[in-house]
Amino acid sequence: MSILGRILMVEDDPKDVELSLTALEEYNLANEVVVARDGEEALDYLYKRGKFADRLNGNPAVLLLDLKLPKINGLEVLQRVRADEKLMMIPVVVLTSSHEEKDMVASYKLGVNAYVVKPVEFHQFVNAIKELGVFWAVINQPPPGSIRKN
Amino acid sequence: MAKSTPHIPTSLSAIQGYGLAVLSFAAALGGAVLLERFHFRDVEVPLFLFSVALSAWYGGTGPAILALVLSCVGFDFFFVQPLYTLYITRDDLPYFLVFAAFASLVTWFSTVRRRVERELGTRTAELEAVNKELEAFAYSVSHDLRAPLRHMAGFTQLLQRSSESVLNEKSQRYVKMILESANRMGVLIDDLLSFSRIGRAETHKSLFSLDQLMQEVLTEVRQETEGRNISWKVARLPSLYGDRSMLRLALVNLISNAMKFTRTRSQAEIEVGYTDQQDKVIVFVRDNGVGFDMKYVDKLFGVFQRLHPSEAFEGTGIGLATVQRIVLRHGGRVWGEGQVDKGATFYISLSKSQGV
Repeated sequence: MSILGRILMVEDDPKDVELSLTALEEYNLANEVVVARDGEEALDYLYKRGKFADRLNGNPAVLLLDLKLPKINGLEVLQRVRADEKLMMIPVVVLTSSHEEKDMVASYKLGVNAYVVKPVEFHQFVNAIKELGVFWAVINQPPPGSIRKN
Repeated sequence: MAKSTPHIPTSLSAIQGYGLAVLSFAAALGGAVLLERFHFRDVEVPLFLFSVALSAWYGGTGPAILALVLSCVGFDFFFVQPLYTLYITRDDLPYFLVFAAFASLVTWFSTVRRRVERELGTRTAELEAVNKELEAFAYSVSHDLRAPLRHMAGFTQLLQRSSESVLNEKSQRYVKMILESANRMGVLIDDLLSFSRIGRAETHKSLFSLDQLMQEVLTEVRQETEGRNISWKVARLPSLYGDRSMLRLALVNLISNAMKFTRTRSQAEIEVGYTDQQDKVIVFVRDNGVGFDMKYVDKLFGVFQRLHPSEAFEGTGIGLATVQRIVLRHGGRVWGEGQVDKGATFYISLSKSQGV
């Protein structure tokens, strides 16, 4: 599944990953997802390093980014993406548990495209994930250089 | 100088303090002698007192005593007959003692005042540290507590979906209850977080029309009153000084409460009014709802405190606690009066002017 990967989901919590994938399955979008378990893996994917060295070229259509991550946190990933000319156009959606204003402000200052607080209620959570997946992977026109659906 | 704290930049080392005492004494003496040359009389006592006060303020007790002793000697030597001796006549003794006593008093006042200032500095620093800790705590609650909750709710729902046909009625009810509890805990955490946010957020105060704000609030909450028979009696409210968005939240809570607890009435009556008290405005919201027992009046404003069973009236019990916190942050007061089945009245007193 890691070949196509139009959605790069950066999420350290396996349960959140499973719930999100379950939600995306309903629109057959689960196959489009690559999961990175921390900030470092996310950057490895983007730069085609480490275990992602053999992946196809191209940027993901969207980066779903948790803020609290092991090793390199979400804001740092966002900062590095925005600072790199090859990556800066990737749409980034922060997907977090945090309602905190300072996280939100910091994310927007770093140029995030959307900030979504994960709802506790499952239906809402599923809907939020589905809508995000459909919007960014299907409806939105990704910037040039993104992986295209065949 | 019991404790030295780095917060007050004017703090001097011991040597500097004693140096200041000597210098200020010398300046006072020089000034007094000079002024006397120009036939200004009796300026020496205030000048010496000034040098003592200065030494006490910046140097502490030791330098103050030094300045006091120097002042007494200088006063005696240069300004008390016979001049230029340290001899004190019997007649001059009371004058001399009064000077010494007064200077001691000034020293004492300065030292106390200084100590209070120091303590205040330490306390403020401590308070800031505690506040920061609290903020970190709330942040971690917001992040880390919500995730497992979301998983509980999520997987329970998936279980519900996948095993609907297998589970008997009883088990399905259990699953439903797990879900309800998880969702309720989510609401509680959110409420607690927004409550703690009110305590931490800075207030942005300005002069605004309370009347206009109340109209906004009423427009907002009235959307939920469809099919209800409520007679509103709303007075024209004055303008006051405060954080508009916070007070808006307080009013929304009060009005929503009035609407909630009159739900069992065929004809609900809600009145909003105010009384003017010099620099204060007391705004009240009165309803003819289910009211409460004055026995429990102390519990009204507690966090997650409820006086009615949740089957009868929904809510987590954070509303009035929020109102109280907002009003307290405005230097005001909030209280309630009620009678079982006869309705309740909630009052908030707010300052009209900036001087809070």
